[in-house]
Amino acid sequence: MTREVSDLPDLHPGVSRDAATPRDSLIVSLLPVLVFAAILGGWEAWVRLAQVKRYLLPPPSAVVIALVEEPMRYIDAAVTSLSAAIGGLLFATVGAFALGVVMAHSRALERALYPPALLLKVMPIVAVYPLFLIWFGFGIWPRVLIAALITFFPVLVNTVIGLRSIDPAAHDFLRALHASRSQIFWRLRLPSSLPYLFAALRICVPLSLVGAVVAEFLSGASGMGQLILVANGDFDTPALFGAVIVLAGLGVSLTVGVSYVERRVLDWHDSYRGT
Amino acid sequence: MALTDTSPLIAPDADAGEAAVPAIDVRALSHRYASTAGEVVALEGADLRVEAGEFVSIVGPSGCGKTTLLRAVAGLLAATGGEVRVLGGAPEQAQREHAIGLVTQDPGLLPWRSVEANVRLPLEVTGATADVPALLERVGIARFARYRPGQLSGGMRQRVALARALAHRPRLLLMDEPFGALDELSREDLRLELLALWERERIAVLFVTHAIHEAVLLSDRVVVMSGSPGRIVADIAIDLPRPRTDALTSTPRFVALAAEVRGALRSGAGSAGARS
Repeated sequence: MTREVSDLPDLHPGVSRDAATPRDSLIVSLLPVLVFAAILGGWEAWVRLAQVKRYLLPPPSAVVIALVEEPMRYIDAAVTSLSAAIGGLLFATVGAFALGVVMAHSRALERALYPPALLLKVMPIVAVYPLFLIWFGFGIWPRVLIAALITFFPVLVNTVIGLRSIDPAAHDFLRALHASRSQIFWRLRLPSSLPYLFAALRICVPLSLVGAVVAEFLSGASGMGQLILVANGDFDTPALFGAVIVLAGLGVSLTVGVSYVERRVLDWHDSYRGT
Repeated sequence: MALTDTSPLIAPDADAGEAAVPAIDVRALSHRYASTAGEVVALEGADLRVEAGEFVSIVGPSGCGKTTLLRAVAGLLAATGGEVRVLGGAPEQAQREHAIGLVTQDPGLLPWRSVEANVRLPLEVTGATADVPALLERVGIARFARYRPGQLSGGMRQRVALARALAHRPRLLLMDEPFGALDELSREDLRLELLALWERERIAVLFVTHAIHEAVLLSDRVVVMSGSPGRIVADIAIDLPRPRTDALTSTPRFVALAAEVRGALRSGAGSAGARS
């Protein structure tokens, strides 16, 4: 991943940030693409030559055809699943961060609140989903809730660790100035916790998609989960592969999006650690 | 560095009555704490007085309690025995009056802030105002104002920490081995700059260091501590003329004073060895 070059003069001239020459880095960045192309080509050739049955393993070309013939089928399902996943992730992040602030505030509160939070984590979420259906119906809300529950704990734990991982020397300086708790929170604790929060988000993006799709499996109402169920019932294996590709694409896009925001917000982080 | 500019950045106390109040008055200060190896006596019966505008260094071996003493003065640590008065009141009172500036070995800068924003931190917290560009100029970091701490060398970071500690115009500057992690040349530069800065500002400084040479060059008095239990073993007045420069270090008087401090350190270490 390329780093932004500062517009300020280089303090360490002669020290290159990237030791590889442009030619090397081009080959290195093309390698994954070549490997990918080789796998797909080999797959296509093998399926055709060995005449593998389509419902067992379709050639990549059939998967592409399935995707382009009915694009709206996948787009509609993807939007539905993505809404549940992102909605759940947002609720979990806001809620877990708020609870994390409370728990980081005092050890007593942490001890009191940690067991119920842990219970949420160890509880098999699939088992409570029928309850959510009874309480909230077949709409998007039970699915948002599943995605939220599955992502809540990583955000909570990382928030608490992050808010506590402050530089003791900076903390001493502020205390010697009689800085208030809120001044210390906004100026020191909150920025210190952001690297931990983003680490949690990178873990939680794929988890939230898993939560949404599992919920759709169970309710069978709509979304990628329902698409997969229907395709499975029809032995429509190209559509199943298409669904996998779409879900992988969603996961990659969300992760790239989080990484992009992270690099913007935490542009100080790596450069500081690197020295 | 605007070394030719002689106007004080921090106005000295005009009030003559207040000048009589010592910056630091520590009496019979003791600090004990429990560790896995049993009770540790970090400090025992320490008396220390630093007058307003006086520069006092504490030298001593690692673990002699000098950092404990400084932290008690800063109000960062509640000692288990004795009394600490800072500028006539409790350390917490001095904190509330924003009278303390702190520089530690680890500068503790905020890595997400620019140099300038780091120096503004105490102004945001205290509501004080300062001419930050002039302050950056004074400590030789004006051209790095927009840099982040991660882009600076250790010596430059300590200059930022020094500017930050002075921004809110403290009346007492506490420095805990501020140059301890620096290379020898950076140390020398910073020492001389601190000397020039202090001789203009004349605020009270308590300076903790390992380095005898550094303590003698900078200070009005050098307090020697010895470890296990941590206590003060000598208080040596440094009667070298000011303004001081590096040239002073080769004079017979400087060498004699450094030898006296070294002797006090050695005898302190000897008696500690005899105890155990």
